[in-house]
Amino acid sequence: MTQYVLKRIFWALFVVAAVITGVFVLMFGFGDPAQATLPRAGPEQLEDFRRKQGLHESLTVQYLSYLGVTPCVREASPKWNEDESKREHCGLLQGDFGESYGHKEPVARVVWQRLPRTLLLSGIALTIEIILGLLFGILAATKKNSWFDTGFMASAFLGISLPTFVTGPIFLLVFAFLYGWFPVGGYGVDFWDHVYHALLPAFTLAIVGAATYARIMRSEMIETLRSDYIRTAKAKGLSHFQVVVKHGVRNALLPIVTLMGLSMAILVSGAIITENIFAWPGMGSLAIESIHNLDAPTVLAVVLIFSITVQIGNLLADIAVAYLDPRVRLGG
Amino acid sequence: MDPRAWRRFKKNKGALFGAVLVIFVTLLGALGPLVAPHDPNEQSRDVLLRDDGTPLGPTWDRAEGEPAEGHLLGGDTVGRDELSRLLHGGRVSMQVAYFATAIAVFLGLFVGVSSGYFGGAYDFAVMRLVDVVLSIPFLLIAITIQRVVDTPALWALFVLLGFLSWTTLARVTRSKTLQVRELEYVQAARALGMSEARVLLRHVLPNVLGPAIVIGTTLVAQMIIVESAMSYLGLGVQPPNASWGSMLREGQEMMGSANRLMVFPAVLIVMTVFGFNLMGEGLRDAFDPKD
Repeated sequence: MTQYVLKRIFWALFVVAAVITGVFVLMFGFGDPAQATLPRAGPEQLEDFRRKQGLHESLTVQYLSYLGVTPCVREASPKWNEDESKREHCGLLQGDFGESYGHKEPVARVVWQRLPRTLLLSGIALTIEIILGLLFGILAATKKNSWFDTGFMASAFLGISLPTFVTGPIFLLVFAFLYGWFPVGGYGVDFWDHVYHALLPAFTLAIVGAATYARIMRSEMIETLRSDYIRTAKAKGLSHFQVVVKHGVRNALLPIVTLMGLSMAILVSGAIITENIFAWPGMGSLAIESIHNLDAPTVLAVVLIFSITVQIGNLLADIAVAYLDPRVRLGG
Repeated sequence: MDPRAWRRFKKNKGALFGAVLVIFVTLLGALGPLVAPHDPNEQSRDVLLRDDGTPLGPTWDRAEGEPAEGHLLGGDTVGRDELSRLLHGGRVSMQVAYFATAIAVFLGLFVGVSSGYFGGAYDFAVMRLVDVVLSIPFLLIAITIQRVVDTPALWALFVLLGFLSWTTLARVTRSKTLQVRELEYVQAARALGMSEARVLLRHVLPNVLGPAIVIGTTLVAQMIIVESAMSYLGLGVQPPNASWGSMLREGQEMMGSANRLMVFPAVLIVMTVFGFNLMGEGLRDAFDPKD
């Protein structure tokens, strides 16, 4: 088991490194961040900016310095020194993400400010997703083929066909603009205000996930409720509620745990769109804003964090599967 | 292909409804621009914008003194004919979705069948590549590439989406090919001296076509979603070209005064995605009637 987990962690690190390298080449090799940051600047200003950010160096030199393997090439960095031998390292290995072109402050500080907001939003969304998904999935399974089940399954199917950028603006229009139950966007001033502002975007983000969980939970529950040990439990005289909750749900939950890991990717891309609809100042908004402005250090940090999130999700899913199914860890 | 699959599909009411929606939006994309009454990018501010800057409403919702005929759905935020933009935007969205899917299906089939059939180091390398592509944050990477490439050319967008979306199909066709390769009649064909190309074409390909059609259908829905999402974020189809996603974004700016500008593209997007998903689900049941 340990060997399998180590192998998976190694692979996850490799994927993150591959993605970061790809985006690095894309940003610095093909894009022109200086021109994009200072669209109206003359050649001298551009040259000055390139020196300050180390953009005048070759791609390889920039890359090694960005990783923190070789000394700093960005003149704007405090680690840089006129004297080449006195330059310190200022890369990822030192926990330095560089300086944001747009925000004029260290990327780490920008990310540190934005990340908790996205975690709050996704956390609420995940909670809504799981509560609604499991509840409706179990109810539909226990009332299989009733009008509730049929109607519910149809709406769940519609639910997976509703993109967030469609539901978001519609919710905004109906619940914020027309009825005024929720704010029209933004972040709020204190914690409970943040939560209040997060509710509508979180609900938007949760619809697709809730529908997916519900569909899988329903089919798993139907499968489980058919099995022998459920019949035994019933024969022993346990109440319907006890059979469903204690014996049924517990076993049907296993695939849901796996799915939760895999759904990190969906949650991440969902956050990008939802945050932009509701002007929620988190990582998703930061992603779009920095990509738009070719703010390369910020883009790289965002991609790094999102890739790591997705990898952790996949990793947990794989470990859960391996833990539950010995064939995977022994065969792989 | 299995004639029983077609019979099962025909009996599935949901799938047929999906197919009707698919045919409708496909025709809309193909013929829409031909029947569009106006140039989608032409701004007629004096006709389509009121004095207070709000767009002219649809024909059934106009004040006295405003033109009663023409411009069926009124104008958009800057005075362009809304109906013509919806029709042209439909073509853009459908084009991107269909072509991206075609690329993805072709790549997925090619990679999946070849790596399943030939195996070895090639198979190993290709499947690791699939793992990497499958576990990158798709939307984020697509947006980044689109921004750096920075071209209004539509083909760049569908090539990009196609090259990011072939992996699921490659995995499925690979495992199907592995199964088929071991079947006795395939072994027999090879033993009798049938060429590899012929075995692939006559025996392997027909067997992987079912899953390819199913995945391809749901892939169109996903491509519509991704393209619209990118255009909604301002990093997909570039202005002045219309796409349903970018129209939704522009419409959101008029929230409260002209909600229809948001609702029209939203309804069309949902209808398209729902149609393809429904048809895909029906095809899955038809080809693989386990449940």
